[in-house]
Amino acid sequence: MSRKFSPLGIIAFIVVLFVISPLLVVIPTSLTSVKYLSFPPIGFSLQWYSKIWDRPEFVDSFLFSLELAALTAVIATLVGTMSGLALHKYRFRGSGTVNGLLLSPLTVPALIIGIAVLLFFTRIGLAGTFTGLLLAHVLISVPYVVRLVLTGLSSFDYTLERAAYIMGAKPLRVFIDITLPILKPAVMSGMIFAFLTSFDNVTVSLFLVSPTTTTLPLAIFSHMQESLDPLVASISALVILLSLVFIIILERVYGLDRLFGSNSHSH
Amino acid sequence: MSESRRRKMRTAVLLLAPAVAVLLGVFVLPMLYILLMSFQNKQEHISLVNYATLVQDPYYLQVLWRTIKLSLLTVLACLVFGYPVAMYMAQASSKMRGIVTFLIIAPHLVSVVIRNFGWVILLGEKGLINNVLMQAGLIDKPLRLMYNELGVVIGLTDSFMVYMVLAIATSMYQIDVSLYKAAGILGAGKLRTFLNVVVPMTLPGMLAGSTLVFSLSMSSFVTLALMGGTSVKVLPVIAYEKIMTELNWQLGASISFLLLFSTVALVTLFTRLVETKRYKEVFSS
Amino acid sequence: MSKSFDVELINVQKKFGTNVVVDDFNLQIEQGECVSFLGPSGCGKTTTLNMIAGFLEPDRGDLLIKGKRMNGTPSNKRDLGMVFQTYSLFPHMTIFENVAYGLKLRKVSKAETKRRVDKVLDLVKLPHVAERYPKQLSGGQRQRIAIARALVTEPTLLLLDEPLSNLDAKLREELREEIKRLQRDIGVTTIFVTHDQEEALYMSNRIVVLDHGKVEQIGTPWDNNRPASEFVHTFIGKSNRLTGVVERVLDHTLELKTDTGISLRAVRRNDCFAAGDKVSIYMRPESIALHVEQRHSAATNVAKGTVKLTSFLGAYSECEIDIGQTVLTVRLQSVEQDGWLSPGMHVYTEWKPEDVFVFARKENGR
Ligand SMILES: Nc1ncnc2c1ncn2[C@@H]1O[C@H](COP(=O)(O)OP(=O)(O)OP(=O)(O)O)[C@@H](O)[C@H]1O
Ligand SMILES: [Mg+2]
Repeated sequence: MSRKFSPLGIIAFIVVLFVISPLLVVIPTSLTSVKYLSFPPIGFSLQWYSKIWDRPEFVDSFLFSLELAALTAVIATLVGTMSGLALHKYRFRGSGTVNGLLLSPLTVPALIIGIAVLLFFTRIGLAGTFTGLLLAHVLISVPYVVRLVLTGLSSFDYTLERAAYIMGAKPLRVFIDITLPILKPAVMSGMIFAFLTSFDNVTVSLFLVSPTTTTLPLAIFSHMQESLDPLVASISALVILLSLVFIIILERVYGLDRLFGSNSHSH
Repeated sequence: MSESRRRKMRTAVLLLAPAVAVLLGVFVLPMLYILLMSFQNKQEHISLVNYATLVQDPYYLQVLWRTIKLSLLTVLACLVFGYPVAMYMAQASSKMRGIVTFLIIAPHLVSVVIRNFGWVILLGEKGLINNVLMQAGLIDKPLRLMYNELGVVIGLTDSFMVYMVLAIATSMYQIDVSLYKAAGILGAGKLRTFLNVVVPMTLPGMLAGSTLVFSLSMSSFVTLALMGGTSVKVLPVIAYEKIMTELNWQLGASISFLLLFSTVALVTLFTRLVETKRYKEVFSS
Repeated sequence: MSKSFDVELINVQKKFGTNVVVDDFNLQIEQGECVSFLGPSGCGKTTTLNMIAGFLEPDRGDLLIKGKRMNGTPSNKRDLGMVFQTYSLFPHMTIFENVAYGLKLRKVSKAETKRRVDKVLDLVKLPHVAERYPKQLSGGQRQRIAIARALVTEPTLLLLDEPLSNLDAKLREELREEIKRLQRDIGVTTIFVTHDQEEALYMSNRIVVLDHGKVEQIGTPWDNNRPASEFVHTFIGKSNRLTGVVERVLDHTLELKTDTGISLRAVRRNDCFAAGDKVSIYMRPESIALHVEQRHSAATNVAKGTVKLTSFLGAYSECEIDIGQTVLTVRLQSVEQDGWLSPGMHVYTEWKPEDVFVFARKENGR
């Protein structure tokens, strides 16, 4: 039905360009040979990539972010999958309320969660600790895992479990052999989404990092407020490429369109 | 209650325990704690002094108004640019629809810091837009495209466009193609079909998208800090300053709640308005 | 216990909340028998089967398998095979892995597993699909695999819950033939749930007819000529219903008169009637004959009527005959009908005493 160049198509193209252009310009910019940001970039060099290694705060924060995101992903996936199963399979009176409660961190702005957690953790002595930061990241990631697992379960046929059970499998075997493999796409997507949520986060981390350890997005954020040089571009380019890998896995395993329900994803 | 029922319940409780613990310890208690704190003075006595300050000092009302204004502008920009994209997606082949969906969503999975950095490259003094305009001879000194309210709206629109597009597209997909045709047969022109059929049917999508984008814009902090510079003060920014630089936690907590409640109140008010209007239209026609 | 049965249900009851779904269920199944549970939707067939399978616990009563009390024993220790309505093949396993799963759990050796899987796949005539995934098979093939999977562990008892209801009519007939053949060949004790009476008649040695969680009748397919209740009679096929009273009770015969004044004789099947009893009288459409003229002078078991409607239904035709305040449905072989009947025609309806079924009418006038 659609012609190649309908007016709507052109507007859609422009808007898509608008949304992806900030990411597109980062990579050429990182290859510039001058010391200031300009576009189109001037000259060509890889100096801004080699300069990353001279800045231990970026390398360290990158590794720290990876570690934090991986731990967050594993914990959030475990906790979220367990809750999803409890809510769907062992449906009980009040499970609707619990479900609403589990998703409620999505409805409060990340900034306010950050403030609340900082003040409360200061009171109980968790502020500035790795545990505190990890817990906060788990909190904001779990709702996504729960949502994805529940979506996965909504089309899950429980007679499959019965079939295995009556063939002689113990409940744990049934879960490992049947339930988990069938839920794998949902659980894996939940894990990747949790990873990206943690890896990208600035607003909550802002309040919870300690002076000595910081996450990569936060390091970039701080650096950008002091000076704007192509160093940020080279780091960003690397992060974009890394994210792209995960995004493509996510698209293959689950489909990005299914990830975005009607719930919010706050910054 | 039977034995098996009780066993099931026990399993459910065990499975939910970790999530509920995290929820309580990292969300519910902290929220209650800062709610309490917002009603305390510096000496930690119960007091309304923080809220009194917020209401009496015109500075805060000014900031609140700026926060609302920027959020409304963002909603407007997302509506104007997002609507055609959703329409295109509804009419496109499933392959094109998939590509557009992917390209709209994927950037959203990269940190907002990096996207904002991209905008700095595009909008800066030596950025793409100023370079192009200078080369074309349209201007002779760079325009100031960011570190002001314009930059903020551009950054926020980029961040939240995805929600508007997906919300409208979802309601678009539900419109039966035969409806367009029926309207066409009845002699309605393209514009009339659009205004009388398509727009009313996508109103729920627009409403959902708008309230979401509005809420997200009201509380966004990173984009404000990176693209608004020091001059554009909004509630999230001053809440951050009160807490992190002035260490006035009580006032910071109350600003957080001012932000939360004004957002909820405005969204509710707006939803009510739109819905009553729709009821009136339905009943009068 | 004097005689040992493969399955025994003794006074089994199941409630969901206050809703009694299965009540006072008693049944004994012998080794090698195929028993059908037959009844309308919601009558408790699946619930009963699930209790035997161990997915539900009875609230009262005992369940015995091979003479051992099974209440409280989990499903995975009951040694059963089960086939579900929705096939329920594991989508992430190949056909071979699906069928072999039960053997893997029993730690059967690789070679032995292969031998046994191949054997059952042969039995269901699908030896060539072992490497495929379930979604690459048709519905009929999937159900065959499900049967193979249930049989491979050589269970004490095979449970089938409406295994054919997701298939189209032709496949259904084909597959039920096959299940019957397999069941008889292997000799596995089987419970077959269905709401299709033809299927039940075809498949089983005995049929348990259920209504609202109560056993209405347990009997062989031939017992359908001796229905235990009005429900069983009407559930097993279409029937014309008249109301009337008992006039006289003879040795082998009941003399009846309908409320519209027609006299009937019926074979007396039990003792529970007395003159003056209000009764429901049933005749099946296929046991009523039509004639243009009255052939006997006797005025019993004959009624004069007018043809209202005829419909051609393939192998047979159905006519509606108005016999005065009552409309009888009559079924004729199509060759027999052959166009001689037309609406408005006067005809005589006739039937034999043995084709008349009489049941006491309940007070609330059903
Ligand atoms: N888990 C449950 N909780 C409450 N009521 C139930 C439950 N399972 C079944 N029932 C009720 O028990 C009754 C019998 O259900 P059952 O599934 O045994 O019927 P069925 O004979 O198998 O019917 P069908 O032919 O439709 O499969 C129905 O009225 C049903 O609503
Ligand atoms: Mg059933």
